[in-house]
Amino acid sequence: MSEKSVLVIGGGVAGMQAAFDLAEAGIKVCLVEKTLSIGGRMAQLDKTFPTNDCAICILAPKMMDCYRHENIEVLTFSEVISVEGEVGSFKVKILRRPRFVDAELCNGCGDCARVCPMGILNRFDMDLRVRGGAYIPFLQAVPLIYALDREKCMRCGLCKVVCGKDAIRFDQKPELVERSVGAIIVAIGFDPLDPSGITEYGYGKYDNVLTALEYERLICAAGPTGGHVMRTDGKEVRSIAWIQCVGARDTRDNRPYCCSVCCMHATKEAILTKEHYPEVGTSILYTDLRCFGKGFQEYVNRAKDDYGVVYIRGKPSEIREKENRNLEIFYSPASDKVEKLEVDMVVLCTALIPSEGVEMLAQILGIELDGYKFFKLKDPYNPTETTRAGIFVAGYCQAPRDIPECIAHGSAAASRAMEVVLGGSDDRRD
Amino acid sequence: MRADCRMEKITEIINRTKAYYCVECGKCTSACPLSRFGDYSPDRVVERTLIGLPVRPDLRIWSCLTCGRCKEVCTYGVDYPEFIRRIRSVAKGEKEQGICAHGELFSVMRLLTRQSETPQKRLYWVSEDLMVRDKGDMLYFTGCLPYFDIVFRDLGVHTVEIARSTVKILNKLDVVPVVMNDEVCCGHDLYWNGEIETFKRLAAINIQNIARRGAKKVIFSCPEGYRTFKLDYPEFFDLDFELVHISEFLAEQLDEGKIDFRTIDEPVTYHDPCRLGRHLGVYDAPRRVISTIAPNFVEMASNRENSLCCGTAGWTNCDSFSEEIRGERLKECSDTGAQMMITSCPKCLIHFKCHMSNRKGDYDLEIVPFEVFVARAMGLVK
Repeated sequence: MSEKSVLVIGGGVAGMQAAFDLAEAGIKVCLVEKTLSIGGRMAQLDKTFPTNDCAICILAPKMMDCYRHENIEVLTFSEVISVEGEVGSFKVKILRRPRFVDAELCNGCGDCARVCPMGILNRFDMDLRVRGGAYIPFLQAVPLIYALDREKCMRCGLCKVVCGKDAIRFDQKPELVERSVGAIIVAIGFDPLDPSGITEYGYGKYDNVLTALEYERLICAAGPTGGHVMRTDGKEVRSIAWIQCVGARDTRDNRPYCCSVCCMHATKEAILTKEHYPEVGTSILYTDLRCFGKGFQEYVNRAKDDYGVVYIRGKPSEIREKENRNLEIFYSPASDKVEKLEVDMVVLCTALIPSEGVEMLAQILGIELDGYKFFKLKDPYNPTETTRAGIFVAGYCQAPRDIPECIAHGSAAASRAMEVVLGGSDDRRD
Repeated sequence: MRADCRMEKITEIINRTKAYYCVECGKCTSACPLSRFGDYSPDRVVERTLIGLPVRPDLRIWSCLTCGRCKEVCTYGVDYPEFIRRIRSVAKGEKEQGICAHGELFSVMRLLTRQSETPQKRLYWVSEDLMVRDKGDMLYFTGCLPYFDIVFRDLGVHTVEIARSTVKILNKLDVVPVVMNDEVCCGHDLYWNGEIETFKRLAAINIQNIARRGAKKVIFSCPEGYRTFKLDYPEFFDLDFELVHISEFLAEQLDEGKIDFRTIDEPVTYHDPCRLGRHLGVYDAPRRVISTIAPNFVEMASNRENSLCCGTAGWTNCDSFSEEIRGERLKECSDTGAQMMITSCPKCLIHFKCHMSNRKGDYDLEIVPFEVFVARAMGLVK
């Protein structure tokens, strides 16, 4: 690593694209990812809109391309803890958290996970599936190196006994590494909002009110239920309603922005539901239908005409759980009178918010956030430039955008970082 | 009023209440207690105003309960109750008014603004066992309790018991509150019915009288009075005394371990008055106190910010829909299994008691004012 190299923070689609573009141009890249695997939020999706392509099928080759690229060093389970210097010569300290597994020796066979007696909810599956204490977050994880959850581990040692490579390292310590880079790209993505604070919808109180990302895991063939949509009480699902703009376009908690994806996301989930179960009733309760992208309106038309998805204009004000655990939604379609819709399951399309820890990272990097904690741009005509020279931003962490836009943004950030490290004009460095 | 002048006022109302943010999503309509039982749509009223249609004469502006449920669920920040209140004051300026459900009640409030030769006898409820004074740091703003006690005696509500309980609780906690015979109506009902000038006169009298007593802190049992002092008086006057609701005061004392209660085993539930809850955000303090006394405290299906209204506010437009809303709320109460519903608002108490008195035998419920409930638990009243 040298001043001719670039640090990319965040291994989602935007970060991977930026890293890959830079690497292809012959620039060394250090890609730092907080979780155990690169792939980001897209890896959690079943399909993508508006083409219904399998998300992981598109993503997994990209993840491998990134990981195996000779110019990219991927540091997973790692976080940037300090940045010194200035544009052209940043000194970055990165904390590598211990996996308690020797990364060189582990061949990803999964024997440790099979014998582990622990049951821990898997964040990747939105806590809908149990994993062992020795685990990878999902099957296609890259790198395919297991990790031990030592916080919850009861230290029985079974994993160590079965590991044929003797790769278990209970005494592994956190490691501090330093890299010198000329530019930095931040692409830390988003977190889905926990909607339990929006009390009128009863999330967390009613069993059959889910978030869109939870539903995405349910309908995913590789998900916790193998793609079968079921309720916790085992009842067959006959009707599902999606509620749009939950926590987004909401001034009550300073989130007036549109999440930019949930109209299409809900349409996709409704179409997938219809493909799995043509007889299930699907309704989408929306505020405004924002089909602004290429092929988006056609996608909604197909949902309506070919799949029979029902679109209802009206933001519900209340959900009540009935004795049979069905849900009664109160809404007012033309502000005329109150209508009730009874469904078996409600999916809340929640706001997507800046990732946890964004303020800390902004402080470490010395860059500013906007009023909603997205990274601030220096000026609107440089859509990847943060408030500090040499630090660029890509993807959802700058502003709401969908997957193709995040990828384009990643490429844009990469090209600006290239200017810096390939010795563009000096005035850029001021 | 000239048309352009009225237009200017309406535009200001739209701006002040952010009505222009309305996207007609219908969330308020589906949340409105009135629309659940009748036909009412806040966003329709807003839209009519936004596109410049005359907002009056229109009875819809007088039907609103101002309960604030619409404002609570609105994700665009439209303050509909305030919108209605301001539109009403425009309408009032043009000699329109809603239907007061209790005859000439408003006239009495107006009369209070006049100088009178014979002083009112507002402190008739202060019995010998109560310690009160005329000057001091802490003042208890009694509000209309002594007045309601007489007007609504046929319902058996005895609202002066609320005032007596409040003073007994304060005495027990070594507070001898100031009470004022020259206190006047806080003006809440007139304010919400568009009568701003009379409201300001009442406010001025109260503020002057409180200042003369040297009070540093004013304590309220009535949520309407508390709201009016806290949010509406400062629109026109500077207050140099602190305001506190009895529930907040008690919760604080509870934290400091200063109160002993006799606990009860029976389940009880609590009805959030709109002024204390949604308007002022005081949800936790009464719950802290009640659940300490009654560990088997249960919530009704709709509670806190989603709480159902008692059916009317400001004595305006109490009708069959209001009755249905009350019935629904009392059903929610019965569904919890609790036989005691506690509320901190004398008007909620009056409204529920009125509903029950017309349907004798339908309900096996007791509606207890918060202050009386606490005083009983402290062994101060029976």
